[in-house]
Amino acid sequence: MVENMRFIPDRFKHNGLFIVMFFITVMMIITVSVTITWTTIRMSEQFFIKKFSITNSKVMNQVKESFESLNYSVVIASNNLLSSGNIRRVLTEEESNAEKMNSFFYMSQQMKHIKSNLDAYEIEIVVAGRNGVNYATERNYWPISDEELRKSVITRNTLEEPKRLMYQYDHRNNQITGLGDGNVIVASRALMDRISGKVYGSLYFAIQESEIRKFYSSYTSPGNNVYVLDKTGVIVSSNQGKLIGKKADNFLSYASGMKNNSHKYIIKNFMGKEQIILMEYLPSFDMYLFNVIDKQTAIGDLINKKEIVLISIGIVLVALVIVFLASRRLTNSLSRLVKQIANASKYDFHQYVCETDTYETRQIGNAINSMLDELHEYVDKLVLAQKQQRNAELAALQQQINPHFLYNTLTSIKFMVLQGGKEDTEATINALISLLQNTIGNVSETVSVKQELDNLKNYVFINQKRYGNRIKVNYFVAQDCEEHQIPKLLLQPFMENSFFHGFNHKPEGYINVLVWQEGDNLICEVVDNGDGMEGSLESNLPHTKRKQQLFSGIGVKNVHERIQLIYGEPYGVTISSKLGEGTKVRIYLPIKEI
Amino acid sequence: MKKVLALFLVSILLLSACSSGSKEKANSGNAKDTKEITVWAWDPNFNIKAMNLAKEAYKSENPDLKIKIVENAQADIVQKLNTSLSSGTTKGLPNIVLIEDYRAQSFLKAYPDMFQELTGSFKAADFAPYKLAPTSLDGKNYGLPFDTGVTGLYVRTDYLEKAGYKVADLKDIDWKKYIEIGKKVKEATGKQMLTLDPKDLGLIRMMIQTSGSWYLKKDGVTPDIAGNAALKEAFKTYKEILDADLVKPVSDWSQFVAGFNSGDVATVPTGNWITPSIKSEASQAGKWAVVAMPKQTGINGSVNASNLGGSSWYVLNIPGKEKAMDFLAKTFGSNVDFYQTLNKEMGAIGTYKPAAEGEAYKAADEFFGGQKIISDFASWTEQIPQVNYGMHTYAIEDIIAVGMQDYLKGKDIDKVLADAQKQAEEQIK
Repeated sequence: MVENMRFIPDRFKHNGLFIVMFFITVMMIITVSVTITWTTIRMSEQFFIKKFSITNSKVMNQVKESFESLNYSVVIASNNLLSSGNIRRVLTEEESNAEKMNSFFYMSQQMKHIKSNLDAYEIEIVVAGRNGVNYATERNYWPISDEELRKSVITRNTLEEPKRLMYQYDHRNNQITGLGDGNVIVASRALMDRISGKVYGSLYFAIQESEIRKFYSSYTSPGNNVYVLDKTGVIVSSNQGKLIGKKADNFLSYASGMKNNSHKYIIKNFMGKEQIILMEYLPSFDMYLFNVIDKQTAIGDLINKKEIVLISIGIVLVALVIVFLASRRLTNSLSRLVKQIANASKYDFHQYVCETDTYETRQIGNAINSMLDELHEYVDKLVLAQKQQRNAELAALQQQINPHFLYNTLTSIKFMVLQGGKEDTEATINALISLLQNTIGNVSETVSVKQELDNLKNYVFINQKRYGNRIKVNYFVAQDCEEHQIPKLLLQPFMENSFFHGFNHKPEGYINVLVWQEGDNLICEVVDNGDGMEGSLESNLPHTKRKQQLFSGIGVKNVHERIQLIYGEPYGVTISSKLGEGTKVRIYLPIKEI
Repeated sequence: MKKVLALFLVSILLLSACSSGSKEKANSGNAKDTKEITVWAWDPNFNIKAMNLAKEAYKSENPDLKIKIVENAQADIVQKLNTSLSSGTTKGLPNIVLIEDYRAQSFLKAYPDMFQELTGSFKAADFAPYKLAPTSLDGKNYGLPFDTGVTGLYVRTDYLEKAGYKVADLKDIDWKKYIEIGKKVKEATGKQMLTLDPKDLGLIRMMIQTSGSWYLKKDGVTPDIAGNAALKEAFKTYKEILDADLVKPVSDWSQFVAGFNSGDVATVPTGNWITPSIKSEASQAGKWAVVAMPKQTGINGSVNASNLGGSSWYVLNIPGKEKAMDFLAKTFGSNVDFYQTLNKEMGAIGTYKPAAEGEAYKAADEFFGGQKIISDFASWTEQIPQVNYGMHTYAIEDIIAVGMQDYLKGKDIDKVLADAQKQAEEQIK
């Protein structure tokens, strides 16, 4: 689990550049393609709508002409009726029933003639006189009774403006004849004596809505609808039969909007769909002709949005795959480089970078590698310089035989001579001679274990001669170790330490020197059963208050540094001590034959 | 990382591939077989309704046949038939069409091969004989008789009572008696006897058919105006009615209906199909009765029964005719139960004689004071004299209507009829 958790961020870490680059590219491609697709669709829609509205406004003009020609027929017919003396007589004079029968008959003959003007349309003519006489050609489609007609809004409006021919919508529930759908547009006009200005009746041309519908029904189709609205906003004719007679106020606002500006068409949301709306004003009818085209049906088929979108998606996907592979290739070399560089410090700068892939990464790798080379060179030089400095230091220290030691030893020898101990004197002088010879004279860095032990013995001998034999020293050296090489004065500082500090409280004791071989290691131990030291800091070397060593310049402290300098990290000195029980110094060294 | 991305991309590709491949729709099921027949008729309250009932009744016979009923104005049907049949195309024509009896001969004679002969598909003897003449040509049946235009005299019993008459006093009268009663009624109530439209001579037609006479001779072609005693008598009666001021003039159908609905007239002499209109004024329930049509005064063989309007079904000689014939034969041609339904649902009276035995025909109508009017109409139907309406009923009527005005203004009757005869002969040759 933990492994995994660390594994993923690691992968991400090295692919960071790729991820950022890839996602930016993805976003860009998607943005660009969406924008272009959308713009293309918009533009082509605009184009189609424009074309569409041009053809449709032509159609609307044709329809308008049909309206005008109907109006003209109605005007001619109404003029004929107006100029008829017979009709005026019937409508103004009080007649007997028999006379009325006669008048009705001639009126019917006249109507037949007048109606021939209107033969092209299904039109019923009703004439109503002020004297209460009504005449109708038929009332199949407009079954209004005489009483209803007298009281109707249509009559009222007509008589209010007696000079105008006006068109009004009317709906009657057709119970008697059951013909038509009851929707009629009534052209009405007051019958007025133009000279006297006296109104003697009114006339009505009931035009079945389906007649009006014929003008445009061939142009309509599902989604392409025509509405004729009167000035109050009522739909008086439409191929959408259900809507006839309904109010459509929003159309009126479109109408005023379209009248004011020069737009040929507007696009509005109507009946839950986006519609292209064209408008023509029919002045003689005082009505508005609307052509409402469902945008979806009009141009939805022309532009296959789905296909365009699918193609775009396809292109985007292909582009993404290419971008993915290409950028992956580019960034891979870079991230590999990064990975190698990041780990370089872990491997002591020994790990070189592969100089592969692209030119840039090759150059970077190259530069890093040569940098590493130089770094190595510097480090090597530094190490060498330090070693030399250290050696010089040690050599200097080694040469410094404490004058006090010589003075004390020589003083001891003087007393031996005075006491007459000739043999003792000779042995002591011999020990001093070989000790000085080995420390000063022998300048080679390492000595054999045997030589080191000889020196040690001489040193111990001299000290025992001076201070007595209360501290015993034993040597346990494995036979096979005698010829191994060890640094000079390796053990002397520890011996000195034990001798002069280990037995401050205890009156006597012993110091054991042990040398043996363990595997590839040579182990030397200096063990005493003296006072011991306080503290659990096993590896810490004891703090000596004296700055000066008693014998040479090399102290306990230097030994460890020296060993590590010569042999490397794994080797060195460990010290363990217990208060009252003694101190044990153990030295690890590699085995080196000369 | 790579795998996840690759999976993502692949799945998108797959998805888009899937979504584009599911837009196929089976577009089969074209009705090339004539499983459908079309019917043209006018008047949704009567003819269309009757046809719908027939369609229901036929479902048990042949549920697979689709019957499409199209409503058209009568004038449109006439126009469309004339245009299509004269151009020889049968495209867009219906299988069954309703034609008014007065016009039937003109169609049958003009396009004899376009109509399917129905002889033998129904029993002609079961139908009122007067319906057979207009629907047949050269002894072959082409039309299946539908509604009867049998006439009656609808009278306001309350007005009559005011003038001292009972319904029984009006039974089997002649027009002379009618005028006499009319004068009394007017005196007593101030109401006119009847409404008349000067351009519609339906009253004249009803009168002359009681005497077995028509505008044309038996051959259906030669005008029979000058020297037509029945027509002359009808003219005289018409003038007498007007002179007695028994008429309320009307100019169209709605004024006609308003005339009796508003109580302005005491009688309505017309076809039985007016019954629903009379009953539509519910406040007059119980005030109406129906008596037989007055017969002509002084004409031998004139009976108290006549006809006005009425139409019949015709099958056009186009694919699907067998199915159309079968449909008509099994409904209007022979189904007594169907006629009972027809009568119960809409008060229609057929010309199928066996149907008169049914229960519905014997029902009493409370609106007419418990009179069994259907039964009465059915019995009058059988008495209607058979005439040949011929080809030119309406053309001649236009001429006669002008003559009538001349006559009313004082022109000599014989001269009027002779002039009309001459004009008719010139016009319809």
